[in-house]
Amino acid sequence: MKLKLLLLSPFLLLIAHAQGPTADQIVDRVTNIMSPENSHSKGSQTIITSSGKERVFEFESWAAEKGKSTLTRYTKPAAIRGQAFLMLNNADDIWSYFPRTKRIRKLASHAKKQKMQGSDFTYEDMGGGDVFQKKFKSRILTEETRDGAPTWKIEMSGIPEEDPPYPKIIMWVRQSDYYPIALDYYNEKDFNTKSLVLSDIQLIEEYPTAMEMVMTDNKERSSTTMRTLEITYAWEPPKGFFSERNLKK
Amino acid sequence: MKYWGTLLLLPSLLFAQPEFFGYFESEASTMQLGSTNYNFGFNKFRLDVEARPNDHVQIGANINIQQYWGKTSWDVYDFIPVDHPTGQGLIFTIPDTILLDNFYMKLSFKLADLTVGRQQVSPGVGYAWNPVDIFNSKSLMDPSYEQPGVNALRVDIPLGDRSTVSSIILPKDVLDESTHQFTLKSGIGSFDLTATAAYESEKDWQTPLLGRYDVSERNLIGGSVIGEMLGWGVWVEGAYNTLKIDIPPWSSFLPPDSEETYAEYVVGIDHTFDNSLYMLVEYLHNELGVKKQENLSLNHYIFALEGEVNSLMQDYTFFYAMHPTFDYVTLSAIVFSNLNDTSGVFSPIIDWNVYEDTNLSFQGSLNWGDSDTEFGLQDWGLIMNITSTF
Repeated sequence: MKLKLLLLSPFLLLIAHAQGPTADQIVDRVTNIMSPENSHSKGSQTIITSSGKERVFEFESWAAEKGKSTLTRYTKPAAIRGQAFLMLNNADDIWSYFPRTKRIRKLASHAKKQKMQGSDFTYEDMGGGDVFQKKFKSRILTEETRDGAPTWKIEMSGIPEEDPPYPKIIMWVRQSDYYPIALDYYNEKDFNTKSLVLSDIQLIEEYPTAMEMVMTDNKERSSTTMRTLEITYAWEPPKGFFSERNLKK
Repeated sequence: MKYWGTLLLLPSLLFAQPEFFGYFESEASTMQLGSTNYNFGFNKFRLDVEARPNDHVQIGANINIQQYWGKTSWDVYDFIPVDHPTGQGLIFTIPDTILLDNFYMKLSFKLADLTVGRQQVSPGVGYAWNPVDIFNSKSLMDPSYEQPGVNALRVDIPLGDRSTVSSIILPKDVLDESTHQFTLKSGIGSFDLTATAAYESEKDWQTPLLGRYDVSERNLIGGSVIGEMLGWGVWVEGAYNTLKIDIPPWSSFLPPDSEETYAEYVVGIDHTFDNSLYMLVEYLHNELGVKKQENLSLNHYIFALEGEVNSLMQDYTFFYAMHPTFDYVTLSAIVFSNLNDTSGVFSPIIDWNVYEDTNLSFQGSLNWGDSDTEFGLQDWGLIMNITSTF
């Protein structure tokens, strides 16, 4: 009996491969690709409101442990220069630093639902790590071509006990490299509140990287473009980098 | 000799490719006090310069130029519902100022950070009140406004990623008479914990109302906890104080050699709702304050007006709500009340980010309470503020 199973196993694997990866396998690959061990980047954030007014912010950001720890410091405009946010444990622990008052304050995790400097991204949206794997249950809805690329359309339903950032997310994952190119975020009423499109995907130090991300608020009719100006994954965090001490620098 | 620090730091600033930044702030206020309306305001220019000669050294300084207009001389009895013993007023004038506010050098060693010079120190986790803060006092109308610098020597020694031991010394001629504050900060789970001990001696208190007299000694033991519970931000900050005050004999209406032992604490919660509405509530209990209105004396009012105590009476609440309602327009409101004399202030605020670095705000205030209460004395006020940062 054991011998029969051994003989059959290569065929079973072939059948499984022919059927394509499961939703969980795709989400695992997406998480790996989207969460390099470490990164150091400079970026800009352009907010265009529903009335067409534009604001541009620039920031420097560091991430480690596959996005579990991040530190973001704003460099422009002058009004918020030096404001910094330290997020540990996938943004479950947040500290803010305001240079005008020289005060560091621990924020409760509800703060991660706040908009980043009034943009369409929340602090939670910027958190990395294994949120998709741990806080959502995934299934493949269909395979379709989007922006000329064959994709898997994955539905991720939030697991209520895990306090997911959104009740539901639909994600389009490029089949060629498992890179997500679009995400739709839904609220409790199953309304598509926000949409994220990732573009200008370049291979940086072996990691596919979206140099541009556009988040559109479908209710407010505003949008925020996050542009990566510089990025490296070769950065190694010095000991104690993700600490309050460094937040003030 | 007094300016040796300036001589040392200035060349370093100039030769280390400094960055210049700051802001211009102009504020116009009107206030109804009884049957009289007062107009007043100020123009403030703050210029910061910061240099980092290398990764381990940071030098910073800022100059504040502040010019007042409108009513600049005030009678303290307009704000106090008690009669002066001599029947005369106590007039004080707010002068225009040019102030070297902060002027410091921070050295980052492998095991510690050392900051010397005039620097801003803001201990505590409370928003409206900070019982462990012996350096500053806050305005309830704008608790998040920057604090002035203090001449200090500060050492921060990190112990792991979440723990730090800090020592702040405000040096005087004699080390024993210098103010010391020691803080141990650490974290457990989603909570930050702080333990504080402070000693303050021979603090010069140059009040425009009473001349000079001294806090001869103050001892403080306190701490704070801040974290999260059931999805809400929660914090508590408290201190136990022993305060000795030497009052000159010519201040005949003040009791001489007053000594107080008192506890003071603040508890607070905050939350951001899914619709981006942010809310914060704080409660202050201050044993140094007076519980019953009939026990209030001039001494208590002056202590409170001078910012030497956090509150006139014992029990207060502070409420703050903020919502980014329109494009670059934030609507918010502050409500604070004295629970002992049941007076309070409701203050709605409109804040408009007109341009990228320019904010225009209007802050109203509607007071309630009897005319002999802390906040009921004033009727209403309106502040227009424009701040442009560069």
